[in-house]
Amino acid sequence: MTIAISSGQDRSSLLEKIARTRELTLLALIALIIVAMTFASPHFLSVANFRAISIGMTPNAIIVIGMAILLASGGFDLSVGSVMALSSTVVALLLLAGWSIPMAVAAALLVGACTGLVNGGLVTGFGINPLVATLGTMSIARGIALVMTEGFSVSSLPAEFGAVGKASLAGLPVLFWLTITMVIAFDLAVRHSAFFRQVYFIGANERAAALSGIAVSRVRIVAYVITGILAALAGVLLASRLMSGTPTAGSGLELQVLAAAVIGGASLKGGEGTILGAFLGVVFVALINNAMTMLAVSVYWQMIIIGAVLVIAVALDMMMRRRAG
Amino acid sequence: MTPLLELTAASKSFGPTRALTELNFQLLPGEVHALVGENGAGKSTALGLMYGVIAPDTGSVTVGSQAQQFRSTADARAAGVACVFQELSLAGGLTVAENIFAGHPRQRLGLVDWPRQRTDAAALLDEFELDIDVRKTVDSLAVSARQVVEIAKALSLDARILLLDEPTSALAPDEVDALFAIIEKLKARGIGILYVSHHLSEIFRISDRITVMRDGRKIATHHTAETTEKEIVSQMVGRLATAERVRNKRPIGEPMFRAQEMGLPGIYDDLTFDVRAGEIVGLAGLLGSRSKLIARAVAGLLPPSVGSMELGGATFAPRSLRDAIEAGIAFVPEERKTEGLFLGESNLGNLAAANLKRFRHFGLFQRKAAAEATQDAIGQLEIKTSGPEQPTGALSGGNQQKVLLAKWLETQPRLLVLNEPTKGVDIGAKLKIHEELERCASGGMAILVASSDFHELLALCDRILVVRDGRIVGETDPANFNEDDLLSVASGVQPAPAPDLEGSPS
Ligand SMILES: Nc1ncnc2c1ncn2[C@@H]1O[C@H](COP(=O)(O)OP(=O)(O)OP(=O)(O)O)[C@@H](O)[C@H]1O
Ligand SMILES: [Mg+2]
Repeated sequence: MTIAISSGQDRSSLLEKIARTRELTLLALIALIIVAMTFASPHFLSVANFRAISIGMTPNAIIVIGMAILLASGGFDLSVGSVMALSSTVVALLLLAGWSIPMAVAAALLVGACTGLVNGGLVTGFGINPLVATLGTMSIARGIALVMTEGFSVSSLPAEFGAVGKASLAGLPVLFWLTITMVIAFDLAVRHSAFFRQVYFIGANERAAALSGIAVSRVRIVAYVITGILAALAGVLLASRLMSGTPTAGSGLELQVLAAAVIGGASLKGGEGTILGAFLGVVFVALINNAMTMLAVSVYWQMIIIGAVLVIAVALDMMMRRRAG
Repeated sequence: MTPLLELTAASKSFGPTRALTELNFQLLPGEVHALVGENGAGKSTALGLMYGVIAPDTGSVTVGSQAQQFRSTADARAAGVACVFQELSLAGGLTVAENIFAGHPRQRLGLVDWPRQRTDAAALLDEFELDIDVRKTVDSLAVSARQVVEIAKALSLDARILLLDEPTSALAPDEVDALFAIIEKLKARGIGILYVSHHLSEIFRISDRITVMRDGRKIATHHTAETTEKEIVSQMVGRLATAERVRNKRPIGEPMFRAQEMGLPGIYDDLTFDVRAGEIVGLAGLLGSRSKLIARAVAGLLPPSVGSMELGGATFAPRSLRDAIEAGIAFVPEERKTEGLFLGESNLGNLAAANLKRFRHFGLFQRKAAAEATQDAIGQLEIKTSGPEQPTGALSGGNQQKVLLAKWLETQPRLLVLNEPTKGVDIGAKLKIHEELERCASGGMAILVASSDFHELLALCDRILVVRDGRIVGETDPANFNEDDLLSVASGVQPAPAPDLEGSPS
């Protein structure tokens, strides 16, 4: 991860400075939680627990990549949780219907790409507010998943399909390595590729971006499609791990992911944030959840605490910025 | 010589407004072609056609020998057209270097080549001999520096056609010189430059030809050498140009505002001055002098950490603009688009926004009274609009400026603070605004105005404070000073006349 931090971009840009300090702050907080929990609970610092955390946060960590890109462009996507569920049921149903694994997976990813295309089209083509547009597709995607399965999970999938979800590499889940690789790859791409830099212009000043010759609608649509594909990928991996397609999976996930991205330095106003920061946001939230579970805090209280953490994080950030600006 | 760019019988309407009617226009290689006209004459609309922002209803745009159907600015850029807009079009949170190369970053294999991008950006800015760090965000720059970045951004395209819409409206005189030097260089390379400005002196200095527009039509095209300012002005306004404004002596009263050794480390220092009732005081400074920040300080936006202020004899220590307004100050900001106006709102809404108290009766908004006040302002300042209900965003740049001014004049403040009050306003309207300000002063209002337009300050002010490096380095009486004197004091070439701290104006 340090590669991503120290690679040579415009170092002294204020935006990146803030983002980088945010990343460092989060890393410090994460270390703090780990140290505190090591003393508080004997079960915390164990390979088993670490495996559990890293597997549990995989969907959020993959989806937050897309969400961070969208936030930087001044948009967001509430349909990600539903799309994940839809893709997990699609892949499961197709496997049961006798499709080969690659074909079934490709089809599920295509479903994600299509929902992204619909979201992007609604937002750019019809100028519908992203809140309304993706709230609509969120409901529709969930509905389709439930209709196709009549509300039940789809299980008895072929054993080979579970390989990825269960496999380990160097003592850690393959899912973990996959997530890390994707986070680093996207972080570098967003920092350095000419295409993704456009996203920040659009988020900072859409009109200026258009006047600078940036194809605003096209970039926005691509960002929604990427997010859709990532949500679908999360669905496929979830199905592989659980060995079933779950139409009810991922409800409320969109808000967790949004919260994590904002904790990680993204802003709903657009124009800011990094993939690395957003990922650390997910790690942070996952650790807090894990810690609370270890300390036997009730699930209901966990919701309250996570909500409070989000608000405090953002409020602190606003205060710091006001002072700096 | 074949023209680089040509408009043929181009017309454009916005709803019922005819912005352009059958406009014919040619831009030749290596010429600076000025486009002049009153606010709302259609200049920006014409530029919009050439840069693919607006499509003509009828008529055509030809670049080189090819008729063009620009569907976006990207098309126009590909055809070799670059543009500096009247309204700043930068992304604030991104760095100067990224902004300059927005839409066409320096890249290798799809990755941004940061070092090369920084070097190239710095090279473009170097021509302005300005110390702008290309790694800074645009947000952190003063408005005039942003304007320079905007110009560099257009130059980065290596275009054959450069459209400049009021590029100097935020620039201090020395920056204007730098820009003109660049224009001369580009001209020599055969680049065609379209130059829109309300400053006729600039136009006569730099242009080869002048096209005059009025009400969306072309009135005439002149060779600059063969015409006079007088002729241009009378063609712009459609009648014989009015004579210069006569300055009336106003009675000057007691100090309304007083600053005592006011300072904020790193921004301004040791400011002691006053503004009397009925007096118009100017703040003159070159780029980086921070004269406009001093105006912001008075308006509560950059409160001092040492020293004190007084308003109307009472201690005045605003922590925010709100406090300052409560105390009887009005502040007209420089950036009308981001700080001053709600562009989606109607003129009425904008005017009422600062005057909600006045237009409230038993808690209800008095729409009729607000509409009347708006209609009055439209008449007073000759704002070109279909009426109080038109969205301010649909007005031309200069007319938006007038709405902004009307909004704050309506609050009838004790002290009016203005930053660049006539930015983008045409000559006729400028006189109107100056008259209006004088009228307010005659009624006992104290007025503090910061402007990079020294000509304006000399014409308007009773006293001018010269600012350098956030300090007042001199005080001048406009009666015995001309623009060059002011410039040399502001740049530090000439020692400042001893500041007269008592500030007796007469
Ligand atoms: N988007 C729009 N919607 C409606 N009317 C518009 C729009 N843009 C311009 N207009 C109208 O078209 C006319 C010409 O405007 P334009 O901006 O071209 O003037 P201009 O010559 O650039 O003036 P200025 O010197 O004030 O910048 C004005 O009457 C203006 O109100
Ligand atoms: Mg204009």
